[in-house]
Amino acid sequence: MSGMLQYEFMRIALVMAVLIGLTAPAVGTFIVQRKLSLLGDGIGHIALTGIGLGLLTSTSPVLGALVVSVLGAVAIEVLRARSRSGADVALALLFYGGLAGGVILTNANGGSGTSLQSYLFGSITSVTVTDLYVVAGLAAAVLGVVALFGRELFLLCQDEEVARASGLPVRFLSVLIAATAAVTVVISMRAIGLLLVSALMIVPVAAAQQLTRGFRGTMLAAMATGVLSAVSGLAGSFQYDLPPGPSIVLLALALFVAAVAGGTLVRRRRARAGTAAENVPAAAGPGVEARVDAEVMGG
Amino acid sequence: MKHDPTLPLHDAPPEKTPTEQAPPFAMTGGVVRRDGREVLADVGLRVGTGDVLAVLGPNGAGKSTLVKALLGLVPLAAGRTEIYGTPPARFRGWRRIGYVPQRLPMGGGVPATVREVVSSGRLGRRSRWRPAVFNDRAADRAAVDRALETLGLTGHARDSAHLLSGGQQQRVLIARALAGEPDVFVMDEPTAGVDARSQAALAAALRELTGAGRTVVLVTHELGPLEPLITRTVELGHGRIVQETTVRENPARDTATGRPV
Repeated sequence: MSGMLQYEFMRIALVMAVLIGLTAPAVGTFIVQRKLSLLGDGIGHIALTGIGLGLLTSTSPVLGALVVSVLGAVAIEVLRARSRSGADVALALLFYGGLAGGVILTNANGGSGTSLQSYLFGSITSVTVTDLYVVAGLAAAVLGVVALFGRELFLLCQDEEVARASGLPVRFLSVLIAATAAVTVVISMRAIGLLLVSALMIVPVAAAQQLTRGFRGTMLAAMATGVLSAVSGLAGSFQYDLPPGPSIVLLALALFVAAVAGGTLVRRRRARAGTAAENVPAAAGPGVEARVDAEVMGG
Repeated sequence: MKHDPTLPLHDAPPEKTPTEQAPPFAMTGGVVRRDGREVLADVGLRVGTGDVLAVLGPNGAGKSTLVKALLGLVPLAAGRTEIYGTPPARFRGWRRIGYVPQRLPMGGGVPATVREVVSSGRLGRRSRWRPAVFNDRAADRAAVDRALETLGLTGHARDSAHLLSGGQQQRVLIARALAGEPDVFVMDEPTAGVDARSQAALAAALRELTGAGRTVVLVTHELGPLEPLITRTVELGHGRIVQETTVRENPARDTATGRPV
């Protein structure tokens, strides 16, 4: 660890890893609950067109990716809201179009395969201080959205009809969560790569929910898992000369497997404790029979 | 002048007597089509303050569609419907409405504690563009505590809502609506999939709510233990109202406040 801290590029990469580890699972918790686990993948594909545009116009590829993927995310949300049946195919078309367009545009730029490769699979160690500032700003914006609208987004992702019957601006919030996911993809793409980017949004959440009981708890545990896998994945890749993006993702998957094993144990123990508790009448409010309370179904 | 529906009645005394006010729900000639088929056909329904209305009928009669249409969750193909005198799309007084859906959706499987679910019932009290983060935390917490206690869920506040039994989950959903301190409850099959024992517990909890003079619209297959609470029934068949009965006089309808204590 101290060895890799000697290099400035590794120090930058480490800060970046922490930022990504925090933001991706925070947004991912809402995305998973909304059953949009593949949204990140889709946005990743579309972002590639943005990178191509950025390279072609010799502006910033990150800016291009940001604009195009946010637009793409909003388009996906609009398609989803418009039609239930056609949305699936429309999304697929958008994804393939984004990927193919990106490859063509980078090629048209005379771009080398390496630059395309670095966006597809990430190259966290080539990140500059300026990149880091941009990513830090975007990460702050994403975490700000989660802090500010977290309660509303929770209800939206839980039950959209109840959210509407509570007077929440459902359309605005849907676009907000999709756009936030797009920004998260852009934050993570330099490190993890566009093809693996949504892994860090989904896998830590999948791991956390094996062990947690609540939404907030899941989000915090997922963020901890995200930071742990990003930082140790990076350190491991430095140590053993492995590509960082895939190392981070494999570590997150390893943590998921561990969480599944741990969760099975915890649930078994809880089930046993639950059977014992059934004989003890739980405290109940007025007018409600205490006996009903002790009936806990499922494991 | 019409009473501003965004203002709760107890905060601002209405200028007209409650009998002249717009009722919680009024639908005229309501039609809902799904895939070209009329799920709801020419439904006229008026729900007055203090009514405890049961929407009855067999499966597929359009009961859930009717209550969703009343709330504007399902668009009308023809006719119109109003919540406190305002079409749902322009209605802003959602804090007065407590909607209890049929079940707690699993979604992507991210767990939520009973307290988290019930707390989200307070979101209707935020103003439209002001995040709930700025709500009065102490008031929120107190209302959530009260709702948990009324439904006998205090001991389960930290449990994962999805691991509870069907009856308990139903009570979580009712507690969520109650936490928002609404004037009107709209409940979609609150007793479906709930065993007889839990139904009695639910009825007891509902008695407490309706005793306070709230308006309730509930969808159900059969009245069961809820029967003594009901003041009116509407029976649906193939999307039409086939029978309407007034079981007993609604004592709350002509009272001055309209808002339960």
